[in-house]
Amino acid sequence: MIDEYIRSVLIFAGINVIAAFSFYVPFKTGQISLGQAGFMGVGAYAAGIVTAKLGLPFPLGLLAGGVAAGLIGVGVGFPALRIRGIYLLLLTLGFAEIVQVIILTWDYTGGAQGFQNIPFLENSLVWIYAIVAILIVFFARLERSSLGRAMDSIHEDETAAEVMGIDVVRIKLFAFGLGAFIAGLAGALFAHYSTYVDSVTFNILVGVEILMFVLVGGGFSYWGPLFGAMFLSLLPEFLRALRDPMELIPVSWTEDAPWNYLYDSVYEFLDFENEKRLIVYGLVLIVMMVLRPQGLITRNTVRPFQFVQRRMDNA
Amino acid sequence: MLGQQLINGLMLGASYSLVAIGYTLIFGVLRLLHFAHGEVFMVGAFVGLHIVLWFAFANIYVAIAGAMVITALVGWIVARFAVQPVDRNYPLAPLISTIGVTIVLQNLAINIFGGEQVAFPETIEQVLFRIGPLTISSVQIFILVIALLSMAALWLFIDRTRMGRAIRATSESHETAALLGVDVNRVVVVTFIVASALAGVAGVLDGVKNSAITPHMGLEVAVKALVVMLLGGLGNVPGAMVGGILLGMVEILTASYLGTSVRDFFTFLILILLLLYRPTGLFGTRTIESG
Repeated sequence: MIDEYIRSVLIFAGINVIAAFSFYVPFKTGQISLGQAGFMGVGAYAAGIVTAKLGLPFPLGLLAGGVAAGLIGVGVGFPALRIRGIYLLLLTLGFAEIVQVIILTWDYTGGAQGFQNIPFLENSLVWIYAIVAILIVFFARLERSSLGRAMDSIHEDETAAEVMGIDVVRIKLFAFGLGAFIAGLAGALFAHYSTYVDSVTFNILVGVEILMFVLVGGGFSYWGPLFGAMFLSLLPEFLRALRDPMELIPVSWTEDAPWNYLYDSVYEFLDFENEKRLIVYGLVLIVMMVLRPQGLITRNTVRPFQFVQRRMDNA
Repeated sequence: MLGQQLINGLMLGASYSLVAIGYTLIFGVLRLLHFAHGEVFMVGAFVGLHIVLWFAFANIYVAIAGAMVITALVGWIVARFAVQPVDRNYPLAPLISTIGVTIVLQNLAINIFGGEQVAFPETIEQVLFRIGPLTISSVQIFILVIALLSMAALWLFIDRTRMGRAIRATSESHETAALLGVDVNRVVVVTFIVASALAGVAGVLDGVKNSAITPHMGLEVAVKALVVMLLGGLGNVPGAMVGGILLGMVEILTASYLGTSVRDFFTFLILILLLLYRPTGLFGTRTIESG
């Protein structure tokens, strides 16, 4: 069995990947949402009600979480059709805030005390990576389908897409709803691993983080959110692991040498508690946007790896 | 009762206005949502606090001036190293880099000052004035005067100086401004400096008002100031001034008559209704379509 700590790191990384995918679907049609955390909250609470309050099995809860978030997503997506860019960003932010207020005031699910005693899902890791795998297959197929290409064309130029006869309204609405559905799944999985959620669990910063996963990874293909979420979730752990090779360097032979001080401070820094580590994380984000504003993975990065599929297409 | 609430609303609104003006200035010039603006506000509060604590001679005016200098410096650093080097062909990239700035500033503050709430010492003697049924304290008068003075100073700067004109020109169009000889890069840096200094003032005022500050205080104000920016119309500076005070009053009134949790619900309902029915803000600024 894998180490308990590594397992929890992998579980949260997997949930982040699913959340990043939930942002990616509407993003594919040019819609930017800061509200994915709100949909996660809806999914977590809906799933929690089904399992903890009604005592039904987890798969039903997962489904309920996804469907509830998806329905609300279509509801939010409808007015969202009228606006775009920063206005849409603000609309979805407002939506996420309203979800938070409702969670905070709804006594049935614990209100400000949070939703407690959600049943623990024993094999979370398997569930989460199974869903990640399904989503990857889905996106791989979507990317090569007419629907996927229609979505891309809406992203590029909505008016042109409409002129080409693409049903822009329906596809955008579908994308927004599907994104919310996926976010609902992520929320449900999160709730059943941590067994406790409250209004702060899905605050604005979570939504911001999801947006970051996709834009750092690159929004041009589904590899972007996958890689971005994995990279940013595991980066702190990589930084910590850097200490192990450092320990092999012999330094004790010159007690007061200046490089000993340097060694110690680097060593200290890699072991940093959360806050210091997050400073590096923030700096990495800034540097990355300066050096690679299009995200880590672009169409050109993925292209060489698609040769097998392309040859199959041509055949 | 109502009059008293309106005074409280004015206090709350004044700090929203100061933060929102910064947002709207930066948005006007760069079409950028400066995500870290709330953290600049927080930095201002902490700098003000430590000037008061460390230097015996320092009164609150020195603290405000010091906070302005440091936050202006932060603004310069952000503009120079996190915004300007980012390729403008990717409209979302600077948003992400300012999110990076948010994370850095917040965690630096937690590291240096600790994650807990810190008391802000009493720097102004509390005197209560009664005007008919209303009670207004010296602290409230102080906050209001400083906020209004900062806004007036900003107004003069934008309206009367060469640089102010350059900022207005750049908000209209980068290309045209550049063609007419405006140094757009310099305008961007100055805008960040001015906006950040205002947020710094707001931070110190917030410390004086609530007598406690935390490294997490930035987020809530930042989100509220976004609503204010929209209320006034994106890029509209007087709109942000009026919008802030309006939101402050609405919040105090809903909180006192309907409860605190309803307050936030109401605020974001206003945001969503505005977006759907009046995206140009209450005063009808032109809409801006970009990320």
